[in-house]
Amino acid sequence: MTVAIPSFQSSGVTCVLVVSNIDLTTDLPAMKPSTFLETSIKDFTLNINNDYRYLKTGYYVSLHAEILGNLVIPSSENIIDAHRTPILLLRASKAGIPILPYLVTGSVKQIISEFGFPVVVFAVNPFIYDGFKIAKNKSGLYKAVKSLGMNYKFAVCVQPLRGEMISFKSIFGKCGFDRDVREVSEKVFEAFKIPICKLHVQRIEGKAYLCGLQPLKKEELLPSDLKLISEEASLILKQGESLVG
Amino acid sequence: MNPSLARIACFVEKYNFTDPREDSALQNFKLTAEKFGHEFDFLFRENISEIPKYDSVFIRATTDPLYTAYIVSKTAWELGLRVIDDPASIKICANKIHSYSLFKKSNVPHIPTIFLNKDEFHHKRLLEIFKIFGKPVVVKAPYTSFSRYVEKVACETSFREVARRFFRKSDILVVQKFMPTAFDWRVGVLNGEVLYVCKYMIPKGRWKHGAKLRGKPTFIWGRTVAMKRVNAPAELRQVALKACKVIGNGLYGVDIKEFNENFVVVEVNDNPSIYAGYEDLRDKDIYVKIIKYLTD
Repeated sequence: MTVAIPSFQSSGVTCVLVVSNIDLTTDLPAMKPSTFLETSIKDFTLNINNDYRYLKTGYYVSLHAEILGNLVIPSSENIIDAHRTPILLLRASKAGIPILPYLVTGSVKQIISEFGFPVVVFAVNPFIYDGFKIAKNKSGLYKAVKSLGMNYKFAVCVQPLRGEMISFKSIFGKCGFDRDVREVSEKVFEAFKIPICKLHVQRIEGKAYLCGLQPLKKEELLPSDLKLISEEASLILKQGESLVG
Repeated sequence: MNPSLARIACFVEKYNFTDPREDSALQNFKLTAEKFGHEFDFLFRENISEIPKYDSVFIRATTDPLYTAYIVSKTAWELGLRVIDDPASIKICANKIHSYSLFKKSNVPHIPTIFLNKDEFHHKRLLEIFKIFGKPVVVKAPYTSFSRYVEKVACETSFREVARRFFRKSDILVVQKFMPTAFDWRVGVLNGEVLYVCKYMIPKGRWKHGAKLRGKPTFIWGRTVAMKRVNAPAELRQVALKACKVIGNGLYGVDIKEFNENFVVVEVNDNPSIYAGYEDLRDKDIYVKIIKYLTD
């Protein structure tokens, strides 16, 4: 499957501006986020960042590009939605990406009555943005809801655990996994256009289901990842230049 | 949707019922909706999965893209329900970097504003800011609400202390000229029309409507003085509507300062406070107008 780069190919875009907080391996012309935030350059913008969380520089780069009227990958709306697990799952489902049933709640009783055990618990609060907890029994679930709900102050997002959890890096939708997982990764990129992220999926009898998305730490990016990021960015840049020609 | 038989979910958290004035306003919404033959249910976070059963959602819990209220808003929006506050309005109003950028782009008169990036947080830049705005200046976290995370600083040391705190959550901050006034205008706007107008008085010896008592966690609030919307200055109403136009068609509370006979926008808030006997004092029809918007 070929991952489609969004609408800029058909939107008359002539130049691509790469804004990156990552040192790319090629001599790709890239601007630092802090420099871009001070400019008013009107080009299609490719925002490369290991961390696109809301209120962080990766988010503000996309927002700034949108305020300037630029097409940008990823959009600020997609950034917010992809990092809020229930919205990620809702939109993924609409985009045809397999997901499992999920529940947003702070009630342990409700979780047990809906799903039983075991379950996967994701945080839905402003402070916890990485990882998940697996609860196999009542006391484990109370602990998970208490810690990810920050002492029951916030809700959590719960999904039943029916297979094995797999977490992996997704770079422009590419990952080093078999077809089922790879397809989820590609479809998530098609739907949300987050160039760099970590995905959590559940594999049940050879089929992969999307469970969550989180940012990557810079140190998690290996030289081979940097090479892939550079190649993908170069490809997008060339497409822009060919439109100029 | 049949406008005579709509089902409205009002998303609330427990804290919405702790202040009797807000509790009373919420009951007014319910009574008004029921008077028109609609169903009006309070929806708590345990019942989010019931959103698809409703025709529209009215959010009264505090909104922010990182709060549960955004999940509710976006879920309702994706399902095609009418929603106040819609996710786009939450996204803009909950982030002051976003809203001031739009005001600047659309020439909405607003308080002179500079954005301070974490990477340019150094002595030279701080001196420049003091030179441009004079002392003191107001430092604002982009996620401010209810007068929290807004502080006045008059020297580099306090500037650094406040900025460091706010930078923990956001990589960019707002710095504004200090413009002291006796009150801020609050203009309630719904769907491009002025809904109510009041003055949010600044408590004596303070500089913002809600102020923390020294060394205590409690807030003190200035008085709210309501006036009939038709009696509000025309220019005030125009500025409020212009500010809302760049955001959307939802329900907003626009804070405006009157300074040297000019009206400048302080901020536009989605999810504005509506307390019985305060915002609704002079224009009692605000409940009807909001319910009609939700069921239209």
